[in-house]
Amino acid sequence: MKLSYIIREGVIGIQRARMPFMISVFSVMIAILSVGIGIFAVDNGLQYIGDLQATYDLEVFLENEVSQSDTRELSKIIAEYPGILRMDYLSKADAAALYNTEFGEDVLSLLDDNPLPSSFRITFEENYRTAPYIQSFIHATEVVSGVDEVMFKKDLFDRVQGIMSFIYMMATIVLFMVILSTVFLTANNLRLMILARYEFIETVRLLGASDFMVKAPFFLEGGILGFIGSLMSVVIIASLEKLLEYYGIIDLPVRILNHPEVILGLLLFGVSLASLGVLKAVRRMLRFVS
Amino acid sequence: MIQFDKVHLRFDSGISLRNLNISIAKKEFVYLFGESGCGKSSILKMIYLELVPNAGVVTVLDQVTSYAKRKDIAKIRQRIGMAFQDSKLLGDRDIYSNIALPLELQGMKALEVRQKVVARSDELGLRSRLSHYPHELSAGEQQRVSLARAMVISPDILLADEPTAHLDDNTAADVLEWLWKINAQGTTIILATHNKLLTKSDPSRTLTIVAGEVVEDRVK
Repeated sequence: MKLSYIIREGVIGIQRARMPFMISVFSVMIAILSVGIGIFAVDNGLQYIGDLQATYDLEVFLENEVSQSDTRELSKIIAEYPGILRMDYLSKADAAALYNTEFGEDVLSLLDDNPLPSSFRITFEENYRTAPYIQSFIHATEVVSGVDEVMFKKDLFDRVQGIMSFIYMMATIVLFMVILSTVFLTANNLRLMILARYEFIETVRLLGASDFMVKAPFFLEGGILGFIGSLMSVVIIASLEKLLEYYGIIDLPVRILNHPEVILGLLLFGVSLASLGVLKAVRRMLRFVS
Repeated sequence: MIQFDKVHLRFDSGISLRNLNISIAKKEFVYLFGESGCGKSSILKMIYLELVPNAGVVTVLDQVTSYAKRKDIAKIRQRIGMAFQDSKLLGDRDIYSNIALPLELQGMKALEVRQKVVARSDELGLRSRLSHYPHELSAGEQQRVSLARAMVISPDILLADEPTAHLDDNTAADVLEWLWKINAQGTTIILATHNKLLTKSDPSRTLTIVAGEVVEDRVK
């Protein structure tokens, strides 16, 4: 029955103070929207820069006269090397076809023999994509029989990696500041909402309510307003994505709707922010009520 | 049941209670009589633990109030009914919900709550007002609602601060009669009033307070 009192009082509290409740919902929505758009922008930005990088990290060229067994052996060594995300074999014929696609010339018609070597194009997993690790891979494969040369565009790679690290660091700092300021603003708004309910808090306490019974309905109310606020912000972000897609303004590589874990995280953040903010405000007010 | 031992209470405004020694037994009906501002409400507030003395000891229901933790305060208040001078009714809910509130806080079942609320409101002539809001009631009716809310939990002690201040003579007499009935059922009643006629016509024990001191403790 106490539970039913808590639920009823929490829900009725919303109906009785609609305006402060709506202002708080709006405040939570702005907070979660700032965080959500921040994450969304950073993710897409990083993805774009990542795409600018070569579709593969390095290319292992084989000697012209390499045997099939050496090629198989090398393929096995590369495949078993830790951190390899993808490995594509380009035969001499594939290389000629690629040359034809890129330069519009048939290399076999220019020369009698196909001079282009066969190769392996290798892409590393995200966690292994560092210059020192790739260098160690090069040292390991260079000495394998049949390998002519390993090409790694280290300068471009380092530059892109540097830009990505910088953006990531700046985005983390900015996001942290945004979160901090929105948490502060939301907490302040919630405090004003609770301040408007001083009469209720004082009266129920005088009527024998324990601190728990005073706080619990507000905690629930905070959870509800946090859920509504964060749900609204998720809907707005998803709608923005759809609009951008519909008008073809930009092709987004990362979409929030494809990441339920991000949606869940934003909802949880909104609910925790509001319910804990309300709880803190009530606790502070209870200090003034005996 | 209630014990004040050498109690002193000081306020920043300078008003104070001095050297109070009061003992109130179970089932007693006691008037706290005195002019406005003499300290009657402060005594009531010390009994339901809204104030604690600066010196001396107040014991209520076997609990020394100065040592009571917040949890203890809530438990003691669940055994004390308080009809406030300013009613303290919640304006955002109807009279039924106001009277039902202390029962709901104690976790009583809905059906039982309804029975008790209806019974108390019948006794105080408030049945037709249950769906109204406090601002729709007269000051006298609000005071009766405050009394009904205080009594709905069937408390060990009922504290009433000027419960007849806004009532006409007939209604005041009815309320007093009702309080006597409650008292006969075993509830200790402490009633603060500045109405001399009320205490004169009643044989109950009267504590007369002047400027924060008990100057007379009289039983007719």
